Amino acid sequence: MKFQSEPNTSAGEFFELLENSGYRWHAKIEGAAKQNGFTVPQGTTVLAFHFKDGVLVAGDRRATAGNSIMYELCDKVIPIDSHTLMAIAGVPATAFEMARVLSHNFEYYRRSQLQSMSTEGKIRALSKLLKENVGMAVQGLGVVSPIFAIYDPAIKKSRIHFYDMLGADFQIRTHTATGSGSQIIRGILEHEDLWGEKPLAERTREQAMTLAIRLLQTAALFDSATGQARPEDDIFPTLATLTEEGYRFLGDDETAKIFKTSTERG
Amino acid sequence: MFEEPYRWMEAVSTRHNYVQEKLKMGQPVMAVPYNEGLLIFGFAPQPGKIFEVYDRIALGGVGHPADVERLRMNLLDMAHLEGFNRSAQDVTSARLLQFGIAPALKQNFEEIQRAPYIIRMLLVELDNEGKPNFFRMNYDGHWETFKNGTAIAGEEKVMDWLQKEIQKQPFATYSLDQALQQACKLWDESRKLESDDEAKKDIPETLQEAFDQWYLEGAVLTEKSARKAIYRPLSKDEIERLKSSTV
Repeated sequence: MKFQSEPNTSAGEFFELLENSGYRWHAKIEGAAKQNGFTVPQGTTVLAFHFKDGVLVAGDRRATAGNSIMYELCDKVIPIDSHTLMAIAGVPATAFEMARVLSHNFEYYRRSQLQSMSTEGKIRALSKLLKENVGMAVQGLGVVSPIFAIYDPAIKKSRIHFYDMLGADFQIRTHTATGSGSQIIRGILEHEDLWGEKPLAERTREQAMTLAIRLLQTAALFDSATGQARPEDDIFPTLATLTEEGYRFLGDDETAKIFKTSTERG
Repeated sequence: MFEEPYRWMEAVSTRHNYVQEKLKMGQPVMAVPYNEGLLIFGFAPQPGKIFEVYDRIALGGVGHPADVERLRMNLLDMAHLEGFNRSAQDVTSARLLQFGIAPALKQNFEEIQRAPYIIRMLLVELDNEGKPNFFRMNYDGHWETFKNGTAIAGEEKVMDWLQKEIQKQPFATYSLDQALQQACKLWDESRKLESDDEAKKDIPETLQEAFDQWYLEGAVLTEKSARKAIYRPLSKDEIERLKSSTV
């Protein structure tokens, strides 16, 4: 903890403050061989879609390394600030680091500048981090493919963005999914939106939760890197909503209840 | 000029007088516990007395706005770097003061070639067990800890009076509305102690005038918040209720 005679004056830029304190984002490892024709090592399924009250973000809990299941309680939906959620697929170390940088960045900006960072500014902040990370991603060591959900007070609506690994962001009007199991459920999401009982954006919170649980269970049936819920061990998917009031994670009891009704067969 | 110890002591003493004179106009900021957390509040002609520092820490300042701002930014830098490099749980008011601000302020004050900070500061936190902690720091780096609330003000006699009065009331048992009302009454009474000064002729004479002409700044740190950052500015409704119950 060090008192600086001249505090940071870079208009709320936390990443710059970090760098001034000696922190370096490892863009790439010098001397390491670049992998040719690498495949993105994503072992996960996370998804987000608009529903009646806002946005739902959900993810499975499994972390893998190659063919090994390393962990079944991984939280892949991470709160960044009171009105922002990030769902991560890819290398957890890099993704968690990005989430921590972003979280401190937004809070530092809000507290130092006495106003929240704009929605566009927050979306760009993740783009910048992904761009910083291109070297590691190309080496196959730090690929991150995030979904970013944010409530935009200017339009009074939640937004969903996904990014490519170079940092380009794309706003999603209906639904998105990422991770190794995402291809399995993207088609279902589209089908549900177009020809389901009603469009995703008109579904209630409970209906949205039910769909998310079913989608993650389906992804887990076909993708070994996506974890199935294990009610007997109290392991359930992570479910969170984002509305005008901010994010809200579903508690274990509520998740267990919805999980039970969602997975009953008709 | 300062080769003799006496000269140096004289210079430091002069600096005390200088800073105290400059601080005189500063309006009180009070911090008290209440039954769901802690409250920090004060009236001022210009906003800029109460700030959020970190997830569970808030700041109140009296003095030159530029000095308040510099120390505020320093606290923010230290808190966020510590929170990022270690954990939010490692960011505590005591550490920020003891290992960050206080030694630097003392050194700055006693290096008599440098301009002193014109500031008194309150640092309050709701610790990880939900217990409120109150810290008060002087412009020379001297700091004190209080269990049941504290206050800062431009004039020492006002500050001391508020400190004593705060201890007499069971603020920790009050609801937020009650704590606000009682703190507001103390603030109003404390103004009778202020010295007559030509520069103070524009200060509101009644609470009604204070509400109308000045800014009431206030915030709470409360466990009732579902967020990681538990700082919340007082709402318009809470301020309106306070106004209607005290004016």
